[in-house]
Amino acid sequence: MRHYAFLKGFLKKNLWRYALGVVFLILVDACEVIVPRILGPITDGLANGTMDYKGLMRYVWLLTAVGAFAMVNRFLWRWFVNRTSRKADYHMRKMLFDKFMSLSERYYTQNKTGDLMAHATNDIRAVRESLGSGTVLTFDSLFLTIATTIMLFISVPTKLALLGLVPFPMIAVAVFFFGKVINKRFKEVQESFSELTDSAQESFSGIRVIKGFAQEELETDNFMKSAKKNFDKNVALMKVDAVFDPMINMFATLAFVIAIWKGGSMVANGEITLGSFVMFYSYLGSLVWPMIGMGWVINIIQRGMASAARLNKIFMEVPDIKDAPDSVGHFEFKGSIRIEDLTFSYEPDGTRPVIKHLSADVKAGQVLAIVGRLGSGKSSLASVLTRLYNPPEGTVFIDGVDINKIPVSTLRKQIGCVPQESFLFSTTIRDNIAFSDHDLSDAEVERYAKIAHIYDDIIEFPAKFGTMVGERGVTLSGGQKQRVAIARALIHRPRIVILDDCLSAVDTQTEESILTALGEELKGHTSIIISHRISTIKHADEIIVLDDGDVIERGRHDELVELGGTYADMYSRQLLEEELAAL
Amino acid sequence: MANYHEEEVLGKAYDAALMRRLVGYARPYFLYLLLGLVMLLGITGTSLVRPYLLKVAIDDNIIGTGSAVYEFPDRQTIPAYVNDDYVIEVEGKVYVRSALLKRADKGLTENLPRVTIMNVQKTPVVIEGIVLTHDLTLSTSPSGEISAKDTKGNEYAATVMDKSVMQQYKEYDSKRIRDIAILILITGLVGFLLTYYEIMLLNWVGQNIVYNMRRQIFSHVMNHDMSYLDRNPVGRLVTRVTNDTDTLIEMYTSVLVNLFKDVFMVVGIIIVMLKLDYRLALVSYMLLPLIFVATMLFRKYAMDAYRKIRVALARINATLAENISGMKIIHLFSVEGRMHDEFDKINSVYYKSGLRETMVYAIFRPTMEFIFSMSLTLMIWYGSKGVMSGIVQIGVFYAFINYVRQFFNPINEMAEKYNILQAAMASSERIFQLLDKKPEIINADSCTHVEKIIGKIEFKNVWFAYVDEEWVLRDVSFTIEPGQMVAFVGATGAGKTSIINLMSRYYDIQKGSILIDGIDIRKIPLEELRRNISTVFQDVFLFTGDIKTNIRLNNDKISDEDVRRVSTYVNADNFISRLPGGYDAKVTERGSTLSAGQRQLLAFARALAFDPSVLVLDEATANIDTETEALIQDALPKLMKGRTTIVIAHRLSTIQHADRIIVLHKGKIRESGTHQELLAQKGIYHGLYQLQYKESFIEAEAKREASQEGSFAVLDEKS
Repeated sequence: MRHYAFLKGFLKKNLWRYALGVVFLILVDACEVIVPRILGPITDGLANGTMDYKGLMRYVWLLTAVGAFAMVNRFLWRWFVNRTSRKADYHMRKMLFDKFMSLSERYYTQNKTGDLMAHATNDIRAVRESLGSGTVLTFDSLFLTIATTIMLFISVPTKLALLGLVPFPMIAVAVFFFGKVINKRFKEVQESFSELTDSAQESFSGIRVIKGFAQEELETDNFMKSAKKNFDKNVALMKVDAVFDPMINMFATLAFVIAIWKGGSMVANGEITLGSFVMFYSYLGSLVWPMIGMGWVINIIQRGMASAARLNKIFMEVPDIKDAPDSVGHFEFKGSIRIEDLTFSYEPDGTRPVIKHLSADVKAGQVLAIVGRLGSGKSSLASVLTRLYNPPEGTVFIDGVDINKIPVSTLRKQIGCVPQESFLFSTTIRDNIAFSDHDLSDAEVERYAKIAHIYDDIIEFPAKFGTMVGERGVTLSGGQKQRVAIARALIHRPRIVILDDCLSAVDTQTEESILTALGEELKGHTSIIISHRISTIKHADEIIVLDDGDVIERGRHDELVELGGTYADMYSRQLLEEELAAL
Repeated sequence: MANYHEEEVLGKAYDAALMRRLVGYARPYFLYLLLGLVMLLGITGTSLVRPYLLKVAIDDNIIGTGSAVYEFPDRQTIPAYVNDDYVIEVEGKVYVRSALLKRADKGLTENLPRVTIMNVQKTPVVIEGIVLTHDLTLSTSPSGEISAKDTKGNEYAATVMDKSVMQQYKEYDSKRIRDIAILILITGLVGFLLTYYEIMLLNWVGQNIVYNMRRQIFSHVMNHDMSYLDRNPVGRLVTRVTNDTDTLIEMYTSVLVNLFKDVFMVVGIIIVMLKLDYRLALVSYMLLPLIFVATMLFRKYAMDAYRKIRVALARINATLAENISGMKIIHLFSVEGRMHDEFDKINSVYYKSGLRETMVYAIFRPTMEFIFSMSLTLMIWYGSKGVMSGIVQIGVFYAFINYVRQFFNPINEMAEKYNILQAAMASSERIFQLLDKKPEIINADSCTHVEKIIGKIEFKNVWFAYVDEEWVLRDVSFTIEPGQMVAFVGATGAGKTSIINLMSRYYDIQKGSILIDGIDIRKIPLEELRRNISTVFQDVFLFTGDIKTNIRLNNDKISDEDVRRVSTYVNADNFISRLPGGYDAKVTERGSTLSAGQRQLLAFARALAFDPSVLVLDEATANIDTETEALIQDALPKLMKGRTTIVIAHRLSTIQHADRIIVLHKGKIRESGTHQELLAQKGIYHGLYQLQYKESFIEAEAKREASQEGSFAVLDEKS
């Protein structure tokens, strides 16, 4: 049960609902157990001819009353139990989503989206089922078994009752073991299914090679091997799965055969009445279901426990980015950034640093540019400044305060970051621009769209700002996405702006005009511009050239060109490229 | 992996056109399905026969009131086949029950007096006449005559018999009861076997149909146009061939034939009930209209709720997946609070539609149960009256209790089948949509067969665009003679990759013509064309499997020897032999354990193994260690020997010896000639050459980026 620890609060509040549901369920079961006790006397009365019309009507009304009472209770248990499991489902999903949001970047690099999705769908479902069907089945089959067995012994002689019970434990055992084998084979089917999926995935991804070597037919044959395996595994599963229902029927038949043979003979010999026989026969019939239930229960609960354990593990995860206990309160940034000998690594043990001994002093309103090749550590600096990852204590300061001591929301609300990959949400362009605050006015949204040079593109769409950008913004081109992302970052007027190589998909001319517009807008803002295009950063107050985490050159544009090193080389090449492109 | 982003298309639950096509796939298995149907008839029979056998046992043997006993004049009149042990003789009179007589001899009893043999207050007696009740009292009149009196005051003459005679009489009943019990056991066994094999058979058929369907879909995708594959994400195509077909299995196994099972069952029960007692049967059916109405209402509400739930769930999953992928943005903009609220809204919608479904089921199921128990009560009321007035036998009455119960099961299963049908319709619609989109690049009706291409390539005024009129190639013409090596250079987007795409006819051109050995490539069978042109892409795609199969792909005609030979030739043997397992070494995750250079060498081996006439090298030299680089440079000339070679050059140093260099710029041929000629022109090539000799780390970066763009460099040419 400790796996269900994360649900403690919920269960505490809702246990009574489950309990009440179980009470109503037991009342339904009681009704079911009573019915043969009514049929018995009716049969006896009819067989003996002692039944009169008045007596019959009494039984008829009794049956009606029991039926109506059962109906009400059937409704009530479903309402209480199933409603509460739905609630648990809602509650778990909400908890999980909040937990996901509290976990930091590091967690998402270590866990695949697909796996996380599986937790949110399959695991929650399995836990919900173990709470809902699991509870119901447990109590239902337990109570029915006990009540029916007791009634059986009351209704017929002990010897006959015992004889009739013989096949039943076999049903529970068979259900349990078959359940196990079925589960195992089912897993194999699922495995072969994901193999099939992988096979198709790979073939479709490598279709160019396949077409290139005219291998379509052979590749199809190859894929069909996976399909055949899936076929075989399915048939293997069916071999046990198909035997399940008929087998239970067979056991039940065995019980009925005993009932007729032994019970029937006893009636014929006058040892018991026909009514007792009817009760005997009915009770044996109603024992079948709880036996199946008992076999199932174990599987459902096992599955639920495994899922609960997985969910619990996520809930136990401690987020590594959170407000420090000794953090300062909220304050308005002036915008100065000081970096003192920052060495940063993604590895927890500090090996393989991506930034080495970086120091910089950016006064409020200044522009710092970072250039360098891919993997040189440029983007890591953006991650550190926004505390997607924590820098070591005492290395990064904003307005003189250690960044680790600034509350996360204070920090992020005053930094506008345009990350390298411009991820947009599948909503309207307007909501994507006003992402930080949906209440921003249309006028604001339009103003920033103009600054980011995306306004003209937007009003050409039929739905203008109401255009849905599609999943991850697929309906927009790379350059359009980047410009929306720029508008999104600037609209909440951050004190500090970080542009992480965010104009790579925009042509040089557009870039030029965006930069001019940005220059106006960013006046007075502290900006950090990360780029590999010199034209973007020429005017920066300081330019740092990074290579493999090391600072290899630093200074103003003119100084660096004069230096004739890496930067100057880069610059001349880019000039040449521009010339070529202009041809 | 489920496709969380897939739009939930929930159309009609039943679409005749789709269904017709789906049934069409089952046609090859018609006989099996027919066999399944016959087995279903057997299963229905076995499950219907049990209540009937029970009725016979109760009426004839368990209580015995249903079996008639006649007084025969003497033993001689009893047919010889009747077992003497079962003939009862009391005070000189002989009694035989009609059940012992053959059907033909039933007429014998017509004028014989009927008696009842039973225990009255534990005394075995023969009562003259037909008595239906057990509640009798014996009395002896002053004259010594024994009579039995029932509660209604009827009096019957009775004769007391010896206990041993009664036992002998009952022995027959015991034997009959045993026989019936065994018969029930046998029908149970037959039912068990039939059901098992029926399920197996239907599943086997369903699996077969889907297996065939998968081949069809997969092969359809394999042979589709490149442009179609560019447009459709791999994930979506994979879903069609896996998940969507999987949904259909259930439709074929649970719905297609088993729908008949329910029909057979209902019809069977109706017939048996009517035959047993039509009045009781009619009373049992009285509440059927209620069931009909309840089911209709349920279907309406349940389907509505189901649809809402599916839509809500799809939204939840899409939102979750999106938010997990975009978590960084959520963090950066500190909008966790709003995202929480937004998710809560969607989650609440799901919760509420879930509650609605819970409500619908919470009302429907108990209501159905209630209607069932009311039908039963009604039947008990009417049946009891029938038994009381002697019209209905008690065994029939009890059989009806069982039949009414069985009658309701198939009706309850309908809702489930409805859900399966709905899912199947949605899936099949998506599958058929895919299958109906036919490829445009196919073999022409009149093809010219070319076993082996010589290798002359001509582009004549070729115009080409991936989309509409956004020309990627404008009026491109050139000729490459067999055995020549020609290089294409130009910036990204110049049209280099398009040229090699067109040569293998991955796309068809809009204007102009492409000829190989003087034949328009549209007249050459695709397979023959592509088999003769091998392309080595800059990003080498490796398949999961081993090294060997990555070289010969699925082509068994290339022996292990050949694989080893070509590998050695292109300098790949050395590193392959050092891998654990050598040529059988596993290649996992697209060859991530191999270096870029090693993968390149493998691709060379692969190309050589297929011995093409035309070799296309989408040359990539990024990220290759110097040692492997040297191996590659050594292997290249060997590879090119005797073949027409086309090189897309990213690095000009490797193409200086090309017979011709063609410079492409914005889709047009701008310069053409040898290295020296072009340098002398001081044009674009000269500029590019200068650029390349400024070795700076930026070049390395550009190359790295280029290699990450992957083999589908087409995409960036398009944008």
